[in-house]
Amino acid sequence: MSKKKDKALYLSDRPPLTPVKVVLLGISYVLLFFYVFVILWPLSQILFASFNGSHGTYIQIGSEFSFSLKHFEYLFQKTYFLDWVVNTIIIALATALLTLLFVSFTGYAYSRYRFRGRKASLMAIMLIQTIPSFAGIAAFYTLHSIIASIAPWFSRQMFLVLIYAGGGIAGNTFILKGYIDSISTELDDAARIDGCGNLQVYRLIIMPIVRPMLAVIALWSFIGPFLDFMLPSILLNDPRSYTLATGLHTLINDVRNMHQPVFAAGGLLTAVPIIILFIALQKQLVSGLASGAVKG
Amino acid sequence: MSYSLTVSDDIGNQHPRRNLILLDKAVQAARKKDQALPSEAEGLTAEAVSAYSEKMKAARAGEKEFQQGRKARQKDFLAGIKDPDKRIRRWLLEAMEARARSDFYLPLIDLDYSYELRYRENLEKADQLPRIAAERRQVKDELEAAKKALKEARSVDSRPQTQDFKAARKTRLADFGNDKKEWKKAYREGMISSRAFANEKREGMLAVRDEIRSLKRKLPVNDQRERVRHARHRLRQDARTRLRVLHSDLPDLRRKTPIEVKKQKAFISWLTWPLPGLGQLLLGQYAKAILFFMGSLFFYLGALPYALGRGNYRGKGIFGLISLARDGSRLDRSVIFMVEGVIAVILLLLGLLIFYQSFRDINRVEKKMIRGVRKHNWFETRMAIRRDGFPFFASAPAALVTIFIVLLPIAVTILISFTNYDPSHQSKFDWAGLANFKQIILGQGIAGGPFWLITGWTVIWTIFATSLAILIGFVLALLVNQDRIRGKKLFRTVYLLPWAVPAFITIMFFSIMFSPDGPLTSLLSSLTGQITNIKYSTWGTRIVLILLQGWLGSSYIFLLCTGILQGIPHDLYEAAKIDGATGFQATRHITIPILLFQTAPLMVGQYTFNFNNFSIIYLFNGGGPFEPSKYGNIAGSSDLLISYIYKLTIQKQYQGIGSAITLVVSLVLMFFAWVGFSRSKAFREEKL
Repeated sequence: MSKKKDKALYLSDRPPLTPVKVVLLGISYVLLFFYVFVILWPLSQILFASFNGSHGTYIQIGSEFSFSLKHFEYLFQKTYFLDWVVNTIIIALATALLTLLFVSFTGYAYSRYRFRGRKASLMAIMLIQTIPSFAGIAAFYTLHSIIASIAPWFSRQMFLVLIYAGGGIAGNTFILKGYIDSISTELDDAARIDGCGNLQVYRLIIMPIVRPMLAVIALWSFIGPFLDFMLPSILLNDPRSYTLATGLHTLINDVRNMHQPVFAAGGLLTAVPIIILFIALQKQLVSGLASGAVKG
Repeated sequence: MSYSLTVSDDIGNQHPRRNLILLDKAVQAARKKDQALPSEAEGLTAEAVSAYSEKMKAARAGEKEFQQGRKARQKDFLAGIKDPDKRIRRWLLEAMEARARSDFYLPLIDLDYSYELRYRENLEKADQLPRIAAERRQVKDELEAAKKALKEARSVDSRPQTQDFKAARKTRLADFGNDKKEWKKAYREGMISSRAFANEKREGMLAVRDEIRSLKRKLPVNDQRERVRHARHRLRQDARTRLRVLHSDLPDLRRKTPIEVKKQKAFISWLTWPLPGLGQLLLGQYAKAILFFMGSLFFYLGALPYALGRGNYRGKGIFGLISLARDGSRLDRSVIFMVEGVIAVILLLLGLLIFYQSFRDINRVEKKMIRGVRKHNWFETRMAIRRDGFPFFASAPAALVTIFIVLLPIAVTILISFTNYDPSHQSKFDWAGLANFKQIILGQGIAGGPFWLITGWTVIWTIFATSLAILIGFVLALLVNQDRIRGKKLFRTVYLLPWAVPAFITIMFFSIMFSPDGPLTSLLSSLTGQITNIKYSTWGTRIVLILLQGWLGSSYIFLLCTGILQGIPHDLYEAAKIDGATGFQATRHITIPILLFQTAPLMVGQYTFNFNNFSIIYLFNGGGPFEPSKYGNIAGSSDLLISYIYKLTIQKQYQGIGSAITLVVSLVLMFFAWVGFSRSKAFREEKL
């Protein structure tokens, strides 16, 4: 077949465009591209700022762009950036693991067992969760001193992990419970008739099915510490023990340490892996949030 | 309370009394109340009762004698058992003993239900145990035979078979290779797609692997080895399953056979409540007793001393809550006393919970016994704990962490809101009643002054910032998901970015850009022709904050709406088109209602999120600009309640007022959360 013939024939199953629709479509494209610009312009500024050697400690617009890695060098040599990365990853991993451990049990128990105080306890915790977490900060300090007086190895970072994981229990239990509810109990019954105990039913029947949701919960618990600024800024006091959010903040909040381009460089290095993660797993992440929203 | 004429078993069936002494008492009680009597009770005479008690006496003596004869009997039995296996011997011995017992109890069953139960239990054992033993014998024989066969198969030269197997494997693999070549040819010629080609290859490989495996298993040595393994597995498992069946059959008998007891009141539970575990011990439920004794230990050695001030970190147990270290040394801090006081209260409450559970447990067992229901034996208790106790054990660690990490700080916050914890009372503070609440409601003082101003801005911020984000996300999703838009993937990826980049980075970067000599400030200044410094202007900052949150929050809404739009069935639109709807009408009457309906609960979540959106306020301009004339020295004009609380508690040490505001805000938020929650589908359908 020749291409000319194709053009002559109208093969689309949509009705042909009327002039009004052409204009509307054009407006749509203009709007969409305008918003693409709105999003990409600031983000590109971070990118340029981090590679622009002509910036000093401040970012100026209109300055010449000369490619250089000096901000990255500064980041790695003069700041605790690597410490912050390691801290954040350890805290994030520990939070994710601890959350999974707690939530696997509670989600399973709340979904599959009927016991006294079940509904009331879930409801109570869901409501109490709306109280901002740092409200009890005075108690957090004291609580940490008390635990540390019994177990001196209990660091502020571990306490942070405990707060993250403990604070996430209720919401994540709710998400997982909803997901387990959607699995037919016939599978469990069959397993029980074959002699499985409570934990075996979870391990052999439920867990393989809910693995996607567990992954989402783990992922969100993992990302949480990367995004949170408030709690680490309150609880951690030594710059070496900071997480990325608090650490990078030290580069712009204080005139003495002010290094805006270095902040841009650090922000870039932090953002890139998370962006990749979000783009690759967007569907799962949104589904996790959407099912958690029942709690709203 | 008086004796009843009949006793009921666990299932609820009524049985006539067999213990005539108790029946006599029941009859007397019934006569007093002029109750109708069943025929067998009507004819009860004093002679019959005394004859019964004689018979009972004789039966007890006989039982004692019978039990003493046990050793002698066992010797006889053992002589008759000739199996080398220890377990089989034990089971057979038990079966014979059970047979003897059932024979002994058979004539006594009319005297007492306990005799009947013993008779039945032993009958069941005598019936099942020999079968279990015989089965084990059979499996053992099979195992021996298989072992022997395996040995023989090993001693015979197996090379010919192995070679046959290898040859078969070779031809099979070669066949597969040929097939693969053919598929490849077909693929090259375009007969099949690349995916079909890959599929064929994978399926072929799996088939080949399975065939080779089954061939390999047919080799004599492998075959016999499998048999040995199978027999071993049965040896381990079969008897276990059978015994479990036996053990669950026995409780069935217990449930169906009532018990008659003399006591009429559940007095053990009332006498022993101060020491959980003791009552269970007296009732003969030993395992449960141990569990509850551990609870007693926790209370008497842990919770109680702690509450009285022993083993505290700095505080004085619950007394710390009252004194708040008022007369303590210079180093004693009120807040520590308060936290430890709250911990003491929590521990005491946990202890009281154990007391209550223990009391309820004994009380229930006793009351049931009076009705005629037998108490559980260990097997039944274990099953009950496994079944009903599992959710509690499973959520105990999470519950503990929640209590101490979530509930404790909240309790302390509530308490602090009733104190004068402020910069001049950092080390020692005292109860102050409702003073803090009065200050914020009336807007008095340094700390409480700007409360209403800040509340107003918080409400404006929440409504506008969230609505803007929702609007942007909504419109973008509708635009991108039009039929004729190309490059959907590109748009979706770009629109995802504000969500994917950690918010603190973007906010901090925008903060840099809007700083006095930042790039955007100079841009704005050159556009307007005068120095425009956003960060120094209240409304400038506020508008930029709302725009920025619109920018940040739209991505998530966009993703959400896109997901829902893709899930709307296409036939809806086709039906609309057939009915003559224009594209705009279809959007208005199909798309938007579905979107709104499905995202509504999530939108509520977005509003509460922004209400508490600390990061953007704190990181963008630190709550500023500051307007001391209106806001005092603590808060700035873009501060939300949440960042105001942060400044009060963390930076300026007005913890008392900060806590009071937290409490007020939390109550309001909790109300909205509750409204949303109780309207959610999951909650209404009682599926929770």
